[in-house]
Amino acid sequence: MNSSKKLGLLLITPAAIVVVMLFLVPVVLTAVFAFTNMSTSTGISGGAYQISPNALQELRDHYDMPSVAERLSQSGFAVDEPGLAALGKAGIDADIVTELRGHIGETFAARRDAERAIRNLNHRPSLREVKQISDQFNRSIMNARYDSKAALLAAVASVMPNLSGAEHQAIIAASYTGWTWTTGNFRRMASIPGTQRSLVNTMVYVAFTLTLFNIGFAMVLAITTFYMPSRAAGFFRGVWLLPRISPPVIYVLLWKWLAWDTGFLSVFLGRFGIHSRNWMLDSGTNAWVFVVLINGFVGASMGMLIFSSALQAIPRPLLYASEVDGASRWQQIWHIIMPQLRWPILFVTCYQTLSLLTSFDLILLSTNGGPGGSTEVWALATYHTALNNYAGNLEYGYGAAMALVLVVVGVFLSLAYLRLFNYRDLVAKPLIEH
Amino acid sequence: MMDMSGQWRALAVAAMLAVSAGAASAKDVTITVWAGGTGPTDAYRLDAIEIAAGLLTREAALQGEALTIKVEKRAYPGWDDFKQALTLSAEAGTAPDIVASGHEDIAPWAQSGLIVPIESYIDLDSWPINDIYPNLMQIASYGGVLYGLPQDAESRPFFFWRPHLKAIGYSDAEIDALPAKVKAGAYTLANVLDDARKMQDKGVVKPGYGFYPRPLNGPDYWQFYRSFGGEMDDPKLGKLVFDKAAMGRFYKFFVDAVAAGVTRKNHIGTPFDQWYTEVATGKAGIWQGGTWHYARYTGQEGLKDFFGTVQFSLVPAGDKAGKPNTLTHPIVYLLTKHNDKAKMEIAAKLIEIASEPRINALHAIRSAHLAIAKQESNIPLYSNDRWTREATARLLPFANAMPNNPNFGVYWNVMWKGLESAWTGQKTVEEAIADDETELRSSLGDKIVIR
Amino acid sequence: MTSNFRAWPVVLALSIVSAPLVLMYVYLLVDTVTSTAPGSLIPYEFTLRHWTFLWTPVPGRPDIWRVALNTLVFATASSAIVLSLSSTAGYVLSRLNVPFRRFFLAGVMVLHAFPSVTLIVAIFLVLQMVGLYNSLAGVILVKAALDMPLGIWIMKGFYDTVPWEIEMAGIQDGASRFTVWRRLVLPQVRPALLALGLFAFLSGWSEFILPQVLAPDNRVQVLSVYLAGLIADDNNFDMALFKSVGVFYVVPVILLFLFFQKHLMNIYGGGTKG
Repeated sequence: MNSSKKLGLLLITPAAIVVVMLFLVPVVLTAVFAFTNMSTSTGISGGAYQISPNALQELRDHYDMPSVAERLSQSGFAVDEPGLAALGKAGIDADIVTELRGHIGETFAARRDAERAIRNLNHRPSLREVKQISDQFNRSIMNARYDSKAALLAAVASVMPNLSGAEHQAIIAASYTGWTWTTGNFRRMASIPGTQRSLVNTMVYVAFTLTLFNIGFAMVLAITTFYMPSRAAGFFRGVWLLPRISPPVIYVLLWKWLAWDTGFLSVFLGRFGIHSRNWMLDSGTNAWVFVVLINGFVGASMGMLIFSSALQAIPRPLLYASEVDGASRWQQIWHIIMPQLRWPILFVTCYQTLSLLTSFDLILLSTNGGPGGSTEVWALATYHTALNNYAGNLEYGYGAAMALVLVVVGVFLSLAYLRLFNYRDLVAKPLIEH
Repeated sequence: MMDMSGQWRALAVAAMLAVSAGAASAKDVTITVWAGGTGPTDAYRLDAIEIAAGLLTREAALQGEALTIKVEKRAYPGWDDFKQALTLSAEAGTAPDIVASGHEDIAPWAQSGLIVPIESYIDLDSWPINDIYPNLMQIASYGGVLYGLPQDAESRPFFFWRPHLKAIGYSDAEIDALPAKVKAGAYTLANVLDDARKMQDKGVVKPGYGFYPRPLNGPDYWQFYRSFGGEMDDPKLGKLVFDKAAMGRFYKFFVDAVAAGVTRKNHIGTPFDQWYTEVATGKAGIWQGGTWHYARYTGQEGLKDFFGTVQFSLVPAGDKAGKPNTLTHPIVYLLTKHNDKAKMEIAAKLIEIASEPRINALHAIRSAHLAIAKQESNIPLYSNDRWTREATARLLPFANAMPNNPNFGVYWNVMWKGLESAWTGQKTVEEAIADDETELRSSLGDKIVIR
Repeated sequence: MTSNFRAWPVVLALSIVSAPLVLMYVYLLVDTVTSTAPGSLIPYEFTLRHWTFLWTPVPGRPDIWRVALNTLVFATASSAIVLSLSSTAGYVLSRLNVPFRRFFLAGVMVLHAFPSVTLIVAIFLVLQMVGLYNSLAGVILVKAALDMPLGIWIMKGFYDTVPWEIEMAGIQDGASRFTVWRRLVLPQVRPALLALGLFAFLSGWSEFILPQVLAPDNRVQVLSVYLAGLIADDNNFDMALFKSVGVFYVVPVILLFLFFQKHLMNIYGGGTKG
C-alpha cells in the first residue's frame, strides 16, 4: 500500500464511521423496519409472551381454538403442595408455611380474595411476602409475562398438559407481544385513501413552491438586484436571506403573528370591516397559500444567490453593446440574461425538488398539516405516523415504510442528477498517484 | 500552597465516611414522575407524589430506616410530545418511574411491557385503595388486572351562556330546568343548532360562535358518536366497534353546524388559549368543554359569577338511537417497568399514598377535577365546593370511558381524521365514512367490528 | 450598473414586495419592548417586562441561560465535528487515491441531497443502542452526521480549486502528503473552512426536529425546543414573550450573518454548486 492510500484511509475513516453509523445504518434499518408491524404496543426492542386479552382473541379468531382460549383465560388461586414447596425455596418464614398447610385445598377466584386470606394469617406476612405467596399459589397464567417460549410453554403445560405441537405454536404466535415481519404496510399504503392524498399534497407543495418561489421569485430577485446599485442590491439580498438564516421556530412564529385571529392581518383588515379570522387555517386554499409562502420565502434565497453569481459572469461589454443597439430592458433580460441562467435553473430545480420532498419542519410548525389534513405532505404524514400523534399510537413499522418510499425516490433522483451534471468530471483521477 | 497529599487524605476520609453512612440503612432514592396534558392548575398531579414522598420518609423513619426520596417532576402541557418522549425514553430504558397519563394508554403500554400491573405491588384491600370508586378501578384495569390507580375523574359537558339563552327567550326557570330536559332526551343536538342559530340571528354572538366545541382532537368527540347511538367497543367480544351509521350521523352533525353557520368551518386549530378566553367572556353561545375548565374560567380567565352566567348539562342526545351522555377520561398513575424492584416498590407506595383523599382533594379543587374516592366527599374542602358537588351529581352517573384496547389509538386517529376532513369540507360525510372504513379494514382487519 | 436604465423603478418594485418581510422583522423587534392594546397596531408604551424571562424562569421551564448554553454547545460541537471531519475527508476525495474513491464520492453526493429526517426512527434506535438517546452528545453526533455529506462535498469543491502545483512543489521538497495537506493546502482553503464552520454552526443553532425527538429532556433542551414548547403550551399565550425569546434566540444569528455575510454567501449560493 502506498503512503497516499494509507493517509487517505486514515483521514477518511472518522468521517466514514460517523456517516455510516448515523446515516447508512439508519437507511438500512428503515428498510428493515418497513417490513415489520412495529408500533407502540409491540415495542422496538423485542417482546415477551403474554396471555393477554389480545392473545385470547387471536386464538379464537385466527386459530379457531376457542376452548383453549377459554381455559387459558380462567383465573384462580389454589393452596396446594407444589405451591407450599416453592414457598420454602423462596425463603418464606417456615411458620407461615406451616400455617398455610392448614389451608391446603382452598381455592380463590380472584387475587384480592387470595391475598386477603394470606394477609389474615396469624403470622401477618408483610406486603412483600403476601405478594410472593400469592404468586406461588396463582394457578392461572392469564396476563403473566414470560421472557422465553420455553417458560411460556412450561406454564401452559401446567394448566393444559395435553396440547398438540400445532396448538403450542399457535399459543406462542398469539401471545407474542413483540413485532413480527409483514408486508402488510405496503398493502395498507396502497389501499388507504390517505396515501393518495398525501401524494397529491406533496406534488402541489413541491410544484408551487418550486416554480413560484425557488425558481420564479428567485429569478426576479436576482435580476432586479442585478439592475440596482450595489448597496441597494446588498440590502435586498440581506433582507431575503433573513428567512433562511432565521431558525424555523421563530420564523414561523412571525407568520403566525401575521396570520392568526388576533394577528396583524386580522387587525389591519378589521379596519376595513373584514371579520377577523385565522387567515392561515381559514380554508385549505389559505393554508396552501401560507405553506407555499413560508417555504418559498426561505427557498427563494438559494436561487437568488446562485442566479446572481451566474449573472456576474456576463461580460459587461455585451450588456453595454446591447443598450447601444437600443435593446429594451425586457429584450436584454430575454436575450442575454436568461440564456445565462439555463444551467443554474436546472441545478436549483434538481436540488430543491429533493429538499422540498423531504422537508416538513416549516409545515409542522405552521399548519401541522391542517386544516383537515389538506396540507399534510408525505414527509409530515410519515412523522405523524411514526412519532407524533394525539393518541400516542406510534406506528414505527408503517412510518418506516412511508419513509422508505421517500428514501427510494431520493436515491433515484440523486442518481439521475449525478448523470445530468457529469459525474465523471467530478471524480477525475488524482494527479499525484503515490 | 496547599499540601496535596493532605487534600487527598481529607477526600479519602470523606469518601469512607460517605460509604459507611450508606451501609447503615440510609437510602437515597430519586423518583421521576412525568405527567401529560398537565397545565399550571394540574400541578398537584405531580406535587401529590412529592407530598407522598414526605409522608413515606416519615413512615420509614419510624421503622428505623433513613429513607430520603427526591422527586423529579416533569409536566407536559400537551399529549403528542409527551407520548413521543415517554415512548422513546421507555424504549431507551430511561422511562420515568411514575407516569400520569390517560387510561387508554394502559392497553398498548401493558402489551409492550412499558408498564407493570400495580396490583403486584400494592394491597388492594388497604386504605385508600379500598375506597376508590369501583368504576374508576375498572377503567384503570386491562384484562382483569389493575395496572394503575385513578388520579382524577372528570367529564366533558355542554356549557350554555345564560345571558345569551335569555336573549333568545329562555326564562330563568327554563334555563334552570335545561339540564333535566337534556337528561330526559327532550333537548337534543338539533335544538343546540337551533338555539345557536337564534343567538347569532339576535346578534348576541358573532357568526360561527353559536356552537363552539373543543378546537382540537380529544376524547370529547366520542361523546357525539355515542349521542348518535355509536358504541366504541363490544365488551363481550373484547373488540372495537365501528358503527358506520352512527359515525356518519355524528360527522353530519358537525357538517350541519358548519352549514348553518353556527360553527366555523376552520374552527379546528383555533389556539386553545384564545378559545378559553372567548368562552369565558361570553363570546360563544353554547360550547362543549371539560369540568376542569371551571378552574381556568374562574381563575386565569377571570369569570366572576360562574353559576350566574353559565349553565351546564350532559351532551344531549343526537337522535332516537342515542342517549344523552358524557365521557370521563381519568388520568391514571402508572408504574413503569424497571430492573430495580425495590425502587418500584417505593414508587408504588408513593402512588398509593398520593391517592389519599385529602391529597387528591387538593388536586380536585385546584384543577376542578372530580373525586376518585368515596370518602373524598367527607372532606370539607371538597364537599363545600359547589362546582365539584354539582358536576359530580349531574354528570358522573352518566359517564362512560373509552375502552382499554391496544388498537384503540389507531381507531381514534382514523375517527378524528375522518371528522376533520368532513368538518372542513375536504370530503363529504359519505366519503369520509367510506375512507374510514377502508383504512380501518386495512390496518385493523378483524380486530374491529364494522357494522 | 448599466448606465441608461434607471434603477429606481426596480428598487421601488422590490421594496413593495419585500415590505411584508421587513414588516414582520420590524414588529418582531418592536413588540418585545413595547405593549400594544388588543386590536391595535400601534404600541402605547415602552416596557422591558417581556424580557423578565432572562432572570425569572418561565414557570415549568428550565432556565433560559442553561438552554442557551446547551444550544451553544450543540451548535459549536456539531460545527467542529463537521469542520474537522469534512476537511480531512474532502481532501481525501479531492486528492488522494484511496480504494472505492468513486463509490465514496457517489455516496456523499447521494447522501448530500438525502431525506435525512425521515430516518429519524432508525436514528433513534442507533442512538438508543449506543446509549446516547436524550443526551446532548447523541444529538450533536446525529446533527454532524447529517450535515457532513454537504460539508465533505463543499470542502472537496474547494480543494479541487487549489492548484496541483502547490502540492507537487511540496512533495518535491520531500514533505509527506500529510505535511503538505496540513502546511500548504489547508491554508489555501481557509475561507472555505470559515464559511463551512459558520454554516454548520447556524444550522445547528436553528435545528428543531432532531433535538425535539432525540433529546427532549429539560436538562438538554435547546432554544428551538424551548421556544416551540412555549408556543405549543396553551396555558400561557403571550405573543410578546414568544417574540422576546425569539429575539434572544435570533440575535446571535443575525450578528454572525452581518459580520460574515460574504463568507456565508459563498456557501448558501456558490458552495452548493453541483
